[in-house]
Amino acid sequence: MVLAGLGSAFLLASLALVVLSAGVGLVAGRGDDHRLAAVGRRAFYAGAAGLVGASAVLLAALLTRDFTVAYVFEHSDRSLSIPLTAAAFYGGQEGSLLYWALLLSAMGSVSLAAGAAASVRLTAYANAVLAGIVAFFLVVMVFVASPFALLPVTPTDGLGLNPLLRDGGMLIHPPFLLAGYSAFAVPFAFAIAALLAGRQDAAWVAHTRRYALVAWGLQSVGLTLGMWWAYHVLGWGGYWGWDPVENAALMPWLATTAYIHSAQVQERRGTLRAWNFGLVIAAFLLTILGTFLVRSGVLPSVHSFAVSPLGPWFFGFLVAAVAVSGAALARRSGQLRSPVPVEAAASREGAFLLQNVLLVALTAAVLWGTLLPLISGMTGRELVVGAPYYERAGAPIMLALLALLAVGPLLPWRRVRGGWLKLLRWQLAGAALVLAALLAGGVRQPGALVALPLVAAGLVTCLLEYGRGAAFARRLAGPWPAAAVRVLGQNRRRYGAYLAHFGILVVAAGLIGSHVWQQSREVTLRPGESVTVGAHTLTYEGMASRSAGDHDELVARLRLGDETLEPARLTYPSLGGQALTRVAIRSTPLDDVYVVLAGADGDGVAVTVFVNPLVTWIWVGGALLVAGVLLGNLVRPEAEVERAPAPVGATAPAR
Amino acid sequence: MRASLKWLGLGVVVAACVGYLVVSATGSSAEYYQTVGEMRSHGSSGDVRVLGTVQNDVVRTDGGLHVRFSAAQDGQTMPVDYRGTVPDIFKPGIQVVVDGRMGSDGVFHARTLEAKCPSKFSSAQSQGTPTN
Repeated sequence: MVLAGLGSAFLLASLALVVLSAGVGLVAGRGDDHRLAAVGRRAFYAGAAGLVGASAVLLAALLTRDFTVAYVFEHSDRSLSIPLTAAAFYGGQEGSLLYWALLLSAMGSVSLAAGAAASVRLTAYANAVLAGIVAFFLVVMVFVASPFALLPVTPTDGLGLNPLLRDGGMLIHPPFLLAGYSAFAVPFAFAIAALLAGRQDAAWVAHTRRYALVAWGLQSVGLTLGMWWAYHVLGWGGYWGWDPVENAALMPWLATTAYIHSAQVQERRGTLRAWNFGLVIAAFLLTILGTFLVRSGVLPSVHSFAVSPLGPWFFGFLVAAVAVSGAALARRSGQLRSPVPVEAAASREGAFLLQNVLLVALTAAVLWGTLLPLISGMTGRELVVGAPYYERAGAPIMLALLALLAVGPLLPWRRVRGGWLKLLRWQLAGAALVLAALLAGGVRQPGALVALPLVAAGLVTCLLEYGRGAAFARRLAGPWPAAAVRVLGQNRRRYGAYLAHFGILVVAAGLIGSHVWQQSREVTLRPGESVTVGAHTLTYEGMASRSAGDHDELVARLRLGDETLEPARLTYPSLGGQALTRVAIRSTPLDDVYVVLAGADGDGVAVTVFVNPLVTWIWVGGALLVAGVLLGNLVRPEAEVERAPAPVGATAPAR
Repeated sequence: MRASLKWLGLGVVVAACVGYLVVSATGSSAEYYQTVGEMRSHGSSGDVRVLGTVQNDVVRTDGGLHVRFSAAQDGQTMPVDYRGTVPDIFKPGIQVVVDGRMGSDGVFHARTLEAKCPSKFSSAQSQGTPTN
């Protein structure tokens, strides 16, 4: 009771402060007024402090099991462990809004404090935009969906958490995704600020580079963990189902991927200005659109979201954001012509542009598939598309992106001189080698025969770049490995990016392998009987049932070589007999044997056995990708010195 | 000017390719999504996705890998036959989405069966209760 009042007070104070901050920031930006700008920033910091207070109160209410608060009652119970209870903070609708606003205000504060030294005007406008976004979340929490709403009567215990969600992967993937989306509001705010301030230079790009990378890294972690959770917990043998909820998370990631590449073109060559504004705005709008689609229940999804009053609010915010960004872009459209057009298609900037166009096309294809039920529903009967649509429309685009991963990093800025064959000889050799090996191994699936050689060519490109860096270090910087470490340290941004490329190629190999070569069988087995899937033979040995706390377990034992796999079915009598599958997975670098216990029939069992080749590489690649982001992101942009050799065939100095 | 025309042309070509991909993929894989009631009133040919609530007549054989039940929605009912792994939360009262086609035997033969799954935004007790 006391806690709820305190929390509501924090939210209200925070709202007043950010509204003040937005107004003051706008006035300060117009007048280029240093003192007012400082007032606006301080109001924003204070608003952020209020959100920290509100978050602490919500956590306290959860951990002290204060069931007077509706949110605590709905998302936890007395038997829930401490970490899961704390995770309920962002596990529900209202709490996730508070979590989003908290992160946005924290990252916004850091970006404003850093930006104020560089440009008062730009930062004042950015302050206004960020405060406006935080204000939207606070209005929703204060007036529509308060995390501190009280119950009329105090229950003795809460409703608890669904067992499907009591899992580490479920605990950690949503907060990463939400953090990634909220972080991307910083580049958006500075882009709008640059438009409002009439600045077309790359200052906003340079200033927000790290926030965009942090946002992208967090989204990548969130997506990878989400796939990991789906694969290990849901028990359907796959990791990605093209559900609207997954697409809503994928689209902003695709747009952010495009932006972190095109931003480099603007930084290096001063071109693609209008495009970059458009991309940042689009990426931000996609995060809001995704939230709207997920929360409003307008799309048919296997996730049945509680119908919430938030749909219209997010739709309104989306419309407002489109209007503001559109007006800001239109006002400056005359001044946004790039001074240097892209000179030649066969250049680094040409490759970046093509990569961008492909990623935008992929985003558009996913968006079309996601919105098709809405669009067709308006004109007649509702149409839906599933995995076949996304595979047919997306695969050619993804193959083109794989080819670009092999070629793009080799191309010099401005234009290529010299023959293609000479430039690509090692990549072609690598691709040919893999193709020959696949053919010799009896592979006949066209998808694998095209995609895996492309992956090999891309890996060759990354390795060559590392090799060239190492050779350079030995020649110029003295004996290595010390020299190699120094070259790496001085070009973290470049080598971090190649590591991320390496990671995404490894992920691609995993996706291709598990997609093309997945095998599965559904069988009923009596004790002693065997089933063979691919190269693996499983023998059913027997079954055991036991009681474990709040649930009963039915465990089957299957022998695979000298290992025993134990898939299980858990039943929760307290939750109306809800069943939960526990998948048994035996992972090796080559393939996963994935066994689901479908049911029991006398002393026999029904099992589904999947063999998923190369799945492990998806998780390994995801980790490499994130390591690459961390490596490239820890350097200050000012301290960046290009000391690595220029790419083959370069005609111009690096800058 | 020449350069920008060239880029514009390239953009048009790329957009046309992507447009073709999207349209052809939609044409070859889009399915109607409807409730049991809507399907009964529109009739159906080819693959459709149907939303319905599982009734009390569930029969599971083959250790649970083969399931027959009736799905109902909007006052209409249809028999469903499905072979494969059944979702954990499948039981009478929940909503399912089946993907498949109506056979000449008057039974809907489902290739996939998905249960509307719990989201992090709803609590345990609200699961497993009929929502229509």
